[in-house]
Amino acid sequence: MAAYVLRRSFSAIAVMAMVGIFVFLLLRLAPGDPAAIIAGDTATPAMVAGIREKLGLNEPLPIQFFQWALSVLSGDFGTSIFTQRPVLELIVQRLEPTLSLSILTMMLSVSVGVSFGIFAAWRTGGIVDRLLAVFSALGYSVPAFVVGYFLIYFFAIRTDWLPVQGYEQIDRGLEPWFVHLILPTIALSLAYGAFIARITRASMLEVLSEDYVRTAAAKGASSSAMLFHHALKNAGVPILTVIGISFAYMIGGVVITETVFNIPGVGRLVVNAISNRDYPIIQGVLILTSGLYVVINLMVDLAYTLVDPRIRY
Amino acid sequence: MAMAGALGSFDPIFTTATITTSHGLAIYDTLFSLDSKFMPQPQMVGKWGLSDDKRTYTFELRDGLRWHDSSVVTAADCVASIHRWGQVDAGGMMLLERAKHISKKDEKSFTIELKEPLGVLPDVLASISGSTLFVMREKDANRPATEQVTANIGSGPFRFNEDLAKPGASFTYDRNEQYVPRKESADGLAGGKVVNIDRVVWDQIADQQTALAALQAGEIDFFEQPPADLLPLLKNDPNIELELLDKTGSAMCLRMNCLQKPFDNVKARQAILHLIDQEAFLRVVTPDPNYAHAVTSIFGNDTPYSNGENTGWYKKGGDPEKAKQLLKEAGYAGEKVVILQPTDIALTSNAMQLLANMLRKIGINAELAPSDWGALTARRRNKGPVEEGGWSMFMSSWSDYYLGEPIGTSLHVMNGEKGWYGWPKNDDYEALRKQWPDVSTVEDRKALARKMQKIYWEVVPTVLLGEYTAPIARRKTLTGLIGFPNLQPMWKMKKA
Repeated sequence: MAAYVLRRSFSAIAVMAMVGIFVFLLLRLAPGDPAAIIAGDTATPAMVAGIREKLGLNEPLPIQFFQWALSVLSGDFGTSIFTQRPVLELIVQRLEPTLSLSILTMMLSVSVGVSFGIFAAWRTGGIVDRLLAVFSALGYSVPAFVVGYFLIYFFAIRTDWLPVQGYEQIDRGLEPWFVHLILPTIALSLAYGAFIARITRASMLEVLSEDYVRTAAAKGASSSAMLFHHALKNAGVPILTVIGISFAYMIGGVVITETVFNIPGVGRLVVNAISNRDYPIIQGVLILTSGLYVVINLMVDLAYTLVDPRIRY
Repeated sequence: MAMAGALGSFDPIFTTATITTSHGLAIYDTLFSLDSKFMPQPQMVGKWGLSDDKRTYTFELRDGLRWHDSSVVTAADCVASIHRWGQVDAGGMMLLERAKHISKKDEKSFTIELKEPLGVLPDVLASISGSTLFVMREKDANRPATEQVTANIGSGPFRFNEDLAKPGASFTYDRNEQYVPRKESADGLAGGKVVNIDRVVWDQIADQQTALAALQAGEIDFFEQPPADLLPLLKNDPNIELELLDKTGSAMCLRMNCLQKPFDNVKARQAILHLIDQEAFLRVVTPDPNYAHAVTSIFGNDTPYSNGENTGWYKKGGDPEKAKQLLKEAGYAGEKVVILQPTDIALTSNAMQLLANMLRKIGINAELAPSDWGALTARRRNKGPVEEGGWSMFMSSWSDYYLGEPIGTSLHVMNGEKGWYGWPKNDDYEALRKQWPDVSTVEDRKALARKMQKIYWEVVPTVLLGEYTAPIARRKTLTGLIGFPNLQPMWKMKKA
């Protein structure tokens, strides 16, 4: 197991290095000039040229790359071209809102999706199963921003129960933190919950048709023992995979929900950085999120051994 | 307050971004400020005088000016700030070029000694057309203008609250209790900057629908740029008021590449001038005709220098036949015309689609080049032909104030490849433009403006597509807002 973790850690470093090289080159080859954006629309070409020079953007590409790579290796992800703040500090600031939203969304999606999926598989064709079909269709087909606007209209404008937008840091109180995240969590959970529910239902249906489940039923095992002890444990691997992938995706992919609810998370940080061609931020976020992806996948792989003792590393 | 634009850079000399200039207005102060008629009025300056030979200006700072770190504002701070600003601003560069000495006289006074008289010196010091001359601490102002100032310490009416700064989300400004406003009442950016609100928070709400919902729910009091399609919704809300703060408006300016075919030929540029149907563009920009106006003066619709010289080309609905004839005279042979279309700016993107359609109707081989604004700003630097990644046309919006200020406004310059994108060149025009700083009366400047405009519409480096105004939306409990082109001062306003 330790050797496996070590191997995967090395692969994480390799992935991050490749992402770094790829992103660096992609950004430099893509059209756009941070100096022109900083200087503003009315600035003269001479002013733009002065800023380019100061930012080191006129240096040859290999020199720019090695300067950046050396500072990353020493743990310095550079400074934002626009705000002049350290990239790592900016990412850490934005990580809390994104992680808060992602964790709450996963908690809601998993609890609702897995329960719904198990119940639907247990009573195939029943009312819950049909409801799940409707819920899944809605979850897949209605974009999160549309759900977001509906939620804002009914729960913030019409009833004034919840805030429209914004984020409160958790250290300023659990209640304001939670209250600001209720609507975005619901908006985001609809799609993820539907996805997890569908996967759970399909996995459970497959397992419930296995001989050993029928044997357990014939031996008089209770419904709960049959579902949770025998079936769910065996159906757990694909469900865990989906949960892991969804969580990893959410870290960098909730930008639309963050925008609709005005949550200053990592997604918005990177989107703004792309508009501004703030290279150090884009590079920093992508390297760190790629590392996070690998770590989450590793955790999911390790979790397999808990639900399925046959899996060994 | 939901402000338009994202505050990324905090140094208003380093960047000319509007949002950063508004940030500058809050925390810094200026030697002179423009009033609502765009006339310069002393702000930090208490007394000032001009020597008999009109070559030496002496400025004395008014009493009570202090930095947010409580130290006293000195003449040395002002001198250093002028030098830093003069590195990047066109008016500032001209001032440094013409100045023999800019030096501190004593702790409160400094002088600007000129090689020759400069009638517009106060106008230049008050100008906001390029970089605004915000006075910074000497140690900050000693940095090169291409290097950002890292401290947000000014002497203005608001203090920047670093502890509550949430980049990407919100920035907080607290009332500067030490600030001593002028006695005169507020007028434009000039007069007494009396702050009636303890704290102002700028929320950076990227989604306009969300900003609207936040305004309706009372979470914010001010929405700087509500989109035109949401205005009817806001009009019907009993708690919200739409207010046209900046009555002067912004002109949509179509810039053409004068170095490359087909617009290296003046006849081809004149063809576009005659072709444009401004009303059609204005309908695209705003459905409400109250916020849309045709514009024919390169000095804008509502500045002291707006005039009707050489505007016979204007025809309601445009003149496609005349355009076709001019295009023929230009020898247009189907060369590709590339229109830069920033898809992340809806107003410009839509206008460029309409433009492409208009051009195709008269036989121009027009092609849209969609990209985001970031890519557009890089591409427009390319002076080469379209086959080598160059461009033919792009649109940029300029407020009336900028159009009325030909020294610092890049759009007014025709000095060829050293100038702004499009690189038009006309020596006669430039000779006239260079006279501007030496003309001391408004009447004489008006006469000069007419002469400049006559040439401008012969050379046609730019075509005007119309001028629009845009109301702000505010909760009715927020009153006393000051209207000024592009910028949003935060003093004077009150919240019930």
